Amino acid sequence: MVNPGYKYFKGEDWVDPTPPPAHLTHVDEVGSSGAPLKSASFFIGTQCKEYNEDFMLCKNENRNPEHCLLEGRKVTRCAIDALQKIQSKCQSEFRAHWECLDRKNQELGRCREHEKGLNDCLFTAFAWKKNVPDAPTNKPQIHERTPLTS
Amino acid sequence: MPVPFESLIPFAIISGMFLVTGTGIRYAQTTRNEGKRARYSLDDWDRKMMQRDTQLTGTMRGQVDEPVASPEFKVNSSWKVYDSLRNDFA
Repeated sequence: MVNPGYKYFKGEDWVDPTPPPAHLTHVDEVGSSGAPLKSASFFIGTQCKEYNEDFMLCKNENRNPEHCLLEGRKVTRCAIDALQKIQSKCQSEFRAHWECLDRKNQELGRCREHEKGLNDCLFTAFAWKKNVPDAPTNKPQIHERTPLTS
Repeated sequence: MPVPFESLIPFAIISGMFLVTGTGIRYAQTTRNEGKRARYSLDDWDRKMMQRDTQLTGTMRGQVDEPVASPEFKVNSSWKVYDSLRNDFA
């Protein structure tokens, strides 16, 4: 969908029709906005760990955008793949979770019930487990903590 | 003699004024944010993500969850219009 634009600057007038340069490989962009991405972030992180680390190491060498186009394409495609898998099996829980996040300033700690629903659905569908990297192992992870008084 | 009701009228007026300002602020923020509460404690990541949302959907609080973006996402520029005049990153 074209960006709607403003009343006197219709969105369709602001699309650049020139084709991109031929030497750049085409890649589809991720189409999710902030809240769905945040909701799916830990799952994209576990699925795409190698590609993300490759990209970050490549950027560490050289900040020039042209240097890391290949790794960037792999990151984008992996993220699109992860999102498509989530949408195929657990769409209603995913939507409930990111709509809750959208209302609560995108803070994960305020939407734990919806997150639990999403985690359970994804675990039964794909055996994906949400894991916070570099969390201390002697305690339960923050999204699995039970309240002291209940 | 019990407390006369006339002396409590100023308290009622003050409480009413609190209600009016609270409702007015909530109405203004809700209208600007399409029915959602205003976002607060925004850091650079959040502001850049909201700018990306503007590129995708046209408004800063609009959300979509398609895996693949429409082809116009890469080449549209209407979100840059009046960028210098906009000052709506709270």
